[in-house]
Amino acid sequence: MRLTKFLAISLSVVLLLAGCSSSSSDSEKTADGKIKISFINGFTGGDGAYMKKITDAFNESQDKYVVTELQEKDHYTKFKSGNYDLVVVHGNNLETYNQDGLIQDISPVIKKAGIKESDFHQAGLDIAKLDGDMFAVPLDIHPLTMFYNKDLTAEAPKTYEDLKALNTKLQSQSKDTYTLGVPSSGLVEFYMLMIAAQNGIELKDGKQLNFAQEKYADALMQFHDMVWKDKVSPPKLGLDGEFQTFMKEAKEGKAYKTAVAITGPWFYGAAKEKYGDKLGVAPIPQIGSELAAYGNAHTIALSSKVEDEKVKEGIAEYLKFMFTPENLLNWADGGQAPVHLATLEKVEAEQEKYQIAFQNAKQFENYVSPPQVYQFGEQMRYMNESVFSKLVTTENFTKKELMKELKKATKLAEQVAATAPQNE
Amino acid sequence: MYKGASHKIWSVLMVSPFVILFLLFWALPLALGVWVSLHNWNISSGNLGFVSLDNYKSILTPGTLYYDLFMKGLKNTLYFVVISVPPLVLISLGLALIIDNLPRKLKPIYRTIFFISYSISVTAVSAIFLWLFNGNGGYFNNVLESIGVIREPINWLGEQPYAWLTILITTIWWTIGFNMMLFINALDEVDAALYEAADLDGAGAFSKFISVTWPQIRNVAFFIIIMTVIASFNLYGQTKLITGGGPEQSTNSLIMNIQTSVFGMNQLGIGSAMAIIMGLIMMVIIVLQYWLSYRNKE
Amino acid sequence: MKRSTRKSLPIIIVATIIAILFLLPLVWMVFTSFKTLSESMASSNILPSAWTMENYVSVFSSVSEAPIFRWLFNTALITAVGTFLVVMIDVLAAYSLARLNVPGKKVILGMVFAALAIPGIVTLFPAFYMFKEAGLLDTYVPLILPYTASTMGVFLMYNFLISFPKDLEEAAYIDGASQWQILYHVIFPTIKPVAMTLGVITFLGIYNDFLWPSLVTNSNDMKTITLGIATLIQGANFVNPAKMMASTVIATIPGIVVFLIANKYIVKSVTNTGIK
Repeated sequence: MRLTKFLAISLSVVLLLAGCSSSSSDSEKTADGKIKISFINGFTGGDGAYMKKITDAFNESQDKYVVTELQEKDHYTKFKSGNYDLVVVHGNNLETYNQDGLIQDISPVIKKAGIKESDFHQAGLDIAKLDGDMFAVPLDIHPLTMFYNKDLTAEAPKTYEDLKALNTKLQSQSKDTYTLGVPSSGLVEFYMLMIAAQNGIELKDGKQLNFAQEKYADALMQFHDMVWKDKVSPPKLGLDGEFQTFMKEAKEGKAYKTAVAITGPWFYGAAKEKYGDKLGVAPIPQIGSELAAYGNAHTIALSSKVEDEKVKEGIAEYLKFMFTPENLLNWADGGQAPVHLATLEKVEAEQEKYQIAFQNAKQFENYVSPPQVYQFGEQMRYMNESVFSKLVTTENFTKKELMKELKKATKLAEQVAATAPQNE
Repeated sequence: MYKGASHKIWSVLMVSPFVILFLLFWALPLALGVWVSLHNWNISSGNLGFVSLDNYKSILTPGTLYYDLFMKGLKNTLYFVVISVPPLVLISLGLALIIDNLPRKLKPIYRTIFFISYSISVTAVSAIFLWLFNGNGGYFNNVLESIGVIREPINWLGEQPYAWLTILITTIWWTIGFNMMLFINALDEVDAALYEAADLDGAGAFSKFISVTWPQIRNVAFFIIIMTVIASFNLYGQTKLITGGGPEQSTNSLIMNIQTSVFGMNQLGIGSAMAIIMGLIMMVIIVLQYWLSYRNKE
Repeated sequence: MKRSTRKSLPIIIVATIIAILFLLPLVWMVFTSFKTLSESMASSNILPSAWTMENYVSVFSSVSEAPIFRWLFNTALITAVGTFLVVMIDVLAAYSLARLNVPGKKVILGMVFAALAIPGIVTLFPAFYMFKEAGLLDTYVPLILPYTASTMGVFLMYNFLISFPKDLEEAAYIDGASQWQILYHVIFPTIKPVAMTLGVITFLGIYNDFLWPSLVTNSNDMKTITLGIATLIQGANFVNPAKMMASTVIATIPGIVVFLIANKYIVKSVTNTGIK
């Protein structure tokens, strides 16, 4: 009979454990009567700890509400399948989440919190506004950033000519040292939209993205030339190649090294750990015909499931707390550039401490925001996963071949756009 | 014996936990899957109406988004099945033969070494091989360069055919031990007297294998082939984590693409239809294999 | 004897070379976990030039973001409870089907065989949707119970029992033993080798599962170790191979230890599946 007893015990343990975790996520109030607010975001990198700091401080500052924060790499999927009140949505996904009916207009809540449009930099407003209303609260913009190794270049290159000149110098010293790396996958979406922005090309065409533009093909060919014609980048770098080659030590014939990385600000921590004071940070150089910065943004959006006024009040309190300079400064400390003006002033006052946030905030002036289309990521998928890699890894790639690919990508984007819910 | 009302009650009581769980977690999802595949079903907004066989039609109509997704995934997966099954079966047989011919005392040691990687999860395996095969200065490239096999670093994860080779090597390293164990056990059961008889006839090692060993292990070999085909068809973890489907979507497996339809594009209806078609294809292939191996026995 | 050792020397050499190739990735993993960040990214020597414990310290101190011990605990719980449930449920069902002439036997057996032929992918996403609608995502329920619907165990044990003589059971029955006594004293000892087989296969299946747990868990605290390692690899921001390998070492050791302890049973169990 020992076995049956064990069976009974283990079953009850399972049910008990199951009961515990499900009941805690369903209930609106905690045991001590506080109202629960759940907040999901994708801050699984180094930045997560800094957002936690803000949340923890809020939970300690008052005793009416408690914010539980979930940091999850795959947070969009988890948001769709779970029950959360607040969600961090990237600037390029806001339209999709709106059309899918997953989020609601946050403006009544921020009114309660006393947060106004004029509190934010225009670049942030461009992202967070849908149809003229502030639909979500813009948190930060993380544009492509330039890191440089001060041992290899004292000055940050500012133009494409600078990049080429630097490369000639580096190559004369060692064949394995280049100016920068062009990756074949990873941040390539940023690269492709950056080059569109720097050439004044509008990709949004009605409800879809239109890549099949002669001008855009010309612009993209520059990445091919960087690898195969001007050879400022070593060939055939893989995922995150721009950053990995920057971190490498050159080894004769075995490994490449670069002086500059045009990459995401979230790599700052690792780069700083390796290079210390030798690490320079600057706005990206002008590669196209005009100066423009591109990147994504984090916004805080309100789930359409939230109806309870008390929860909304709690969210207003939380946002009010977060968007005070002393608190939001933590976010800058984590390497992100906030678009909240009062916080930016503090960042500027301590440029050295908030090096990366400060440098990125400088790019706000030239910032071009992602096109607002339904399922932006899916519309970009073929470009991200196929076209860019072909472009930079095929030595004899021609503009004609590129145009063919761009047409295919556009056709796929059109079909993705057509899956939008009809109620819009 | 075993008659009467009390037995009937006992028998029902004993079988019912299984039946209930089976209905709940297998039959119900299966029925739901078929039902959902006939609807325009959005993962976030729910059921948007009955569409009859439209989901299947758009998956099977060339030129549509879903056709591309499904066919590309199917093509990649079939390609992997074709390149992976022969080495997974032949190498495991080779290893089993080596172990079989080792001195008795050494057998368990080598058997454990060849089998140990099977105890590591696919994600840990991927973490290791992801960095081993890193293109720029990765360990594998460096070894090849220092022994002079290659002159320039190979971009293992970002270029074909190297990306498939990486996935293949990873899969062999990870799972070969299981097939090998099956072969070892089959070899153990071959009657030693048959070998002695062959020895007396003066047969060489190869002809001994063909005439004595192979007929004895053939059934196990067919079983292993079928198991390996199923496993390779379910390719997911390695390509998801090591190559991320790249380069240029060439290692996107069918399961990865079904997941994209469900979670990327929100189309649970399309995804369910794709899963059902994939299930049917697998069933056809497995039945065909059973039929072939059964016919061979005749 | 001497002659036979000399004869097997070439094959020992071949086996040793292959064994080294097999162990190399694991050796590399262990040594890399003791390298500094810059060395792990830049150097290609297998041995660290300067040994550091820093990666392990960092893994242990970042448990709030990557709760690796919680993941190990979850895996231990899920595999233990899941394996136990599967074996118990399947033994009872197979016994009832093979010996007790349960009403509806043919229908149940028909379902068992049909289910064996249908690949798991077909039920995967609908099952996820069911748990989502039931509000049970991110609990232990979907991480354990769906494994009990597998029919492979019933199939294995049913086949074993019908080919096994009933003499012992009949003798016990005539002696007036109760149904439980027969089950406990006769059936369990008889069926033990097949139950061990099923246990090992189920354990490996649950331990290795990656796609299903990734669908049904949300929070970091509910992840299995297999899933947790995937989070570490995929974390777009995770570019530290040394720390990655330290986490992988910690994640891998328990699996290898269990494996070495259960080695004997696994060897036997694989035989049993092979026969079928």
